[in-house]
Amino acid sequence: MGEILANLGAGLLAALAPLNLGMIVLGLVIGILAGALPGITMVNSIVLVLPFTYLMGIVPSLLLMIGVYCGGVFGGSITGILFNIPGDPMNVPTTWEGYRMSRAGQTRYALGLAIMSSAVGGLASALFLAFLAPPFARVALGFSSVEFFSVVVFGLASVSVLGQSSMRAALISLLAGMFLGTIGTEQQYGVERFAFGVPFLKTGVDFVTVLIGLFAIGEVLEQLVLAEPADTVERPATTVPRLPLLDLWPLRGPLFRGTLVGIIVGGLAGAGATVSSFVSYGLEKQFSRRPELFGTGHAPGLVASESSVNGSTGGAMIHLLTLGIPGSAATAVMLGAFLIHGIQPGPLLFTTQTAAVYTIIAGMIVANVLMIGLGFVAALCFATLMKVPAPILNTFIVVFCFLGAYALRNDMADVWLTMLFGVLGFVMRRWELPVPPLVMGVILGPMAEGYFLTSMVSSGNDLTVFVTRPVSAALLALSVLIVVWPFARSLRRPVPA
Amino acid sequence: MTRVLAPLGGLVLALVLLAASRGLDEVAREGTLGPGFWPRLVLGGLAVACLAKLAGEWRARARAAAVAPARIARARLAAAVALILLYVLATPAIGFALASMAFIALFMALAGARSPLVIAANAVGGTVILLYTFVKLVYLPLPKGAAGFETVTLALYRALRLF
Repeated sequence: MGEILANLGAGLLAALAPLNLGMIVLGLVIGILAGALPGITMVNSIVLVLPFTYLMGIVPSLLLMIGVYCGGVFGGSITGILFNIPGDPMNVPTTWEGYRMSRAGQTRYALGLAIMSSAVGGLASALFLAFLAPPFARVALGFSSVEFFSVVVFGLASVSVLGQSSMRAALISLLAGMFLGTIGTEQQYGVERFAFGVPFLKTGVDFVTVLIGLFAIGEVLEQLVLAEPADTVERPATTVPRLPLLDLWPLRGPLFRGTLVGIIVGGLAGAGATVSSFVSYGLEKQFSRRPELFGTGHAPGLVASESSVNGSTGGAMIHLLTLGIPGSAATAVMLGAFLIHGIQPGPLLFTTQTAAVYTIIAGMIVANVLMIGLGFVAALCFATLMKVPAPILNTFIVVFCFLGAYALRNDMADVWLTMLFGVLGFVMRRWELPVPPLVMGVILGPMAEGYFLTSMVSSGNDLTVFVTRPVSAALLALSVLIVVWPFARSLRRPVPA
Repeated sequence: MTRVLAPLGGLVLALVLLAASRGLDEVAREGTLGPGFWPRLVLGGLAVACLAKLAGEWRARARAAAVAPARIARARLAAAVALILLYVLATPAIGFALASMAFIALFMALAGARSPLVIAANAVGGTVILLYTFVKLVYLPLPKGAAGFETVTLALYRALRLF
């Protein structure tokens, strides 16, 4: 313990050196901006900064990337809260609660909560990385596609918490999303599924088109056509975020659980921030005494999901630093940066490159502290857009959705899909079909299929593998309970006259 | 009515797609799960969920009439959807710059903006800022339009010193 503290102290001093600190700040700014723009993901922005690291040393390179990583996972929540446009799939649960809070005049509170929960989650996971990385990595290494499948199923099972009025409607929406995820060329056999000869469907439906269309365009149409004119919708007097330091104490439960889920799920190689945000949101509703408030602008849902997203950053770094295995797409790019500089991450890294490793870990701590200030400034800049009159704002949201979809593959087909999903999003709202489960299905469905088929191949098509491994069995049992319990409760409830 | 239409449509679509999934497993090796297994599982689940929803609506049919959805401006909705689709349709033909300028002006007017000066300023100024950001800074190859419109777009790019 003493040795770790000493190394961490030395790492902290090194991370605060002007060049290293500058790289962290630059990375945070790039990450927050890129995360906030739909169509430009956090992983894209890490890839974009990779060429600039060739001429740097390994420490400033990694600190730049860590800045982008920590800022990127948070950035998408700003536009999610303000405009119902999540920058990344991982920010979707934050958007569900944050946007409703914003519409109810609690923009400042929602932004402040998102900043603080992200920072606390990221800080806790960085400390976890510093003190408990090696033993955790040994345990996590024993997990396989079987456990990953169960984690994703657990995330999908939380769909039962997303249907505000009807669990059946939520299931329809979820399964429709999972079906959309099967369109395109199947990975194992290379067979085209449900493309019906349409060229752009052969590469599948990109979830970003679904995300932007359903949330942003659907919302613009909703605002435009409701009997109440859009420019008379109530807007908060001020949108300057406030940092609710004391307000976090009553929310310590969701904050703790969200961070813990983030670290654990992030620490499972391949799971990542998106799965952890969905799982922690679903879990939080199960813990809640007022589950009916979720989806209506409920702070615990936002805190749980946001803390888990940043909590997953430290978890994902554990695999990279201790085993040399990237735990997510972002850390895979970071592995590339290590290899470019001739360093092979792995069990020996902590002994051969002690100073560099602890500077990187300390850099994560510094990045999460700095994110409070930079996140505040970024939120302030974006929040000023809330003062723009609705006709102008809604028009430019549509144009930005166009650009976000087009930037995916420079293909107008993605723009078409986005706009069509926008109309679908509006229709779904009118038909009382919840939108979030569909998005969840598109994102998590392909992951579930991949893990399921891998498990089947590795076990010789033995389905019992999912119940004979204890972690998987526990997660699946929990998933069944989550689905069956509210369903049974709804059946026992008498139909109102 | 819509409470029944959605699950009914979902049920029909799931059954049609289930039928379309026949033949997907022809490439699968003996004794292994083919590429059609997962979609069939999902579509089967979708059909069951739609049936359950229909049954639920049948049970609750007495209260169905009591809930009326919020009123919407149908003409405005049709115009908004048409404008958005026209924007996407026109962009490859006339280029992003001209299409966006026209879309911003028309959509703002539809959304309730009244001042012609504000509309024009946003249409022109907004498009120029977008072009600088996405063409000059991000190097996004936005559609320039076909035939004569490409010449117009390129002239605009040169005038704005984007090239």
